[in-house]
Amino acid sequence: MPDLITTYFGSVSYQPECVVEFPLGLPGFDEERRFLLIEQALNKPVVFLQSLSRPELCFITLPVTLICGTYELRLSPEDLETLGLDRMPASAGGPEVVSLAIVTFTEGGPPTANLLSPIVINWRRRVGIQAVPADAPYSHQHPLFTGTREVPCS
Amino acid sequence: MLVIRRRPGQSVLIGEEIEIEIIEAGPARVKLGITAPKQILVLRKEIRITRQQNLNAAQGVSQEAVRKLAEKLRPAAASAERQQTDSRQESGGA
Repeated sequence: MPDLITTYFGSVSYQPECVVEFPLGLPGFDEERRFLLIEQALNKPVVFLQSLSRPELCFITLPVTLICGTYELRLSPEDLETLGLDRMPASAGGPEVVSLAIVTFTEGGPPTANLLSPIVINWRRRVGIQAVPADAPYSHQHPLFTGTREVPCS
Repeated sequence: MLVIRRRPGQSVLIGEEIEIEIIEAGPARVKLGITAPKQILVLRKEIRITRQQNLNAAQGVSQEAVRKLAEKLRPAAASAERQQTDSRQESGGA
């Protein structure tokens, strides 16, 4: 099993078949094509998206359906083609796809999740994209907590 | 902001080298044709927003902050999982 040195986790052993390819990279990180999904019992339900080529690059993500139970994926025909899917997945929460929102920690405010542009992974093929739909009703800075009240997601 | 009314087939010019043509106008959206030099980047605004959001998110965060986030979300995650199991059992029983 190959080892990966990461800033966040130190040394990580992983199975090559767990690497997810992002053929188009992510906006702002166009050259980052390979990521590992890492879950830790200690930090459940957080999912880490660790770059294979940049030790310091690790996104903190959450399943979109955890933030918004009624979350609806919007994928373009090009998105589906990149993912190797021949039709829209029935649900953002699987079983065909894993859908994750990248979390941003802000100073002075609650962490926010990017529900506008979800990371969508066809787990069977280990291929992923960051979908950026033109007409989604979701925010790119959805606050995860405001006091004790839940925030409506759309 | 400059506001101009145009019909399908009409264009707007920006500088000497950029042309934006209205190809089609529907009730909910319009189709634009953009002609610009190669070195000019043409992007949907959502892509730029996503790019900036990704750059902010990649700033790095302390293990402590992540652990706190996970702790706050764990009850919601547990109840979501329970609901999933429940609905699976329901559909299994039907």
